[in-house]
Amino acid sequence: HPWETVTMAAMQKYPNPMNPSVVGVDVLDRHVDPGGKLHSHRLLSTEWGIPAIVKSLIGTCRTKTYVQEHSVVDPVKKTMELKSSNISFTNLVSVDERLVYKPHPHEPDKTILTQEAIISVKGVSLSSYLEGLMANTISSNAKKGREALEWVINRLNAEIEEFTASARGTMRNSMAAAAFVEK
Amino acid sequence: NSVGEACTELKREYDQCFNRWFAEKFLRGESAGDPCGQLFKRYQLCVQKAIKEKDIPIEGLEFMGPSKGKTENSS
Repeated sequence: HPWETVTMAAMQKYPNPMNPSVVGVDVLDRHVDPGGKLHSHRLLSTEWGIPAIVKSLIGTCRTKTYVQEHSVVDPVKKTMELKSSNISFTNLVSVDERLVYKPHPHEPDKTILTQEAIISVKGVSLSSYLEGLMANTISSNAKKGREALEWVINRLNAEIEEFTASARGTMRNSMAAAAFVEK
Repeated sequence: NSVGEACTELKREYDQCFNRWFAEKFLRGESAGDPCGQLFKRYQLCVQKAIKEKDIPIEGLEFMGPSKGKTENSS
């Protein structure tokens, strides 16, 4: 899909069926810098479906994990960069992600996404198995991320078609009514 | 949905305005003028209140101020 389409979809990514754990999105700050780039700071709330027994131990108000996302859109250079890191009350594991969307250099109707994730574990030492598991989850999430954008793009296109069809219908009705009145 | 349940409606209004501006103006290189300023301010006030109430530790944002914890607000 062309870069503009992908960028618009990325701005409206949530909610979508591929990321059911994201329950809230808020814009904390947004401004255009002197260079014409749009900066957005967003807060994403995620709910992981923690088992009831764990909830009763740590308290229900702490079952949400928050992700802070900073995105920069450069409409001239056609790049969109997203950096996100999770904030949680436990601060045990932190995941920082960086995504960059750019138009494909040879095919203008396509967009290239580069994605990297840095996993840091502090405090209690966890085995490398767990870190490997997280890395797998992140790469399958990357695939989900692309599917999620595909879903949003299709939904946006469907909305546009619906709007056009109903606008045409309304025009036909009002033209018919006008013709009737003239007679 | 918004982190503050009461802010969801304000958020939706702002989102609609922003998405339209983003697609029709910003991506086409016309970033001057922001028709959503008022909607954004109202939505922001609501979100800031919700974040403080829920004690979400967000760092590095101007509106939170440099210090964490309870601060005196004289307004």
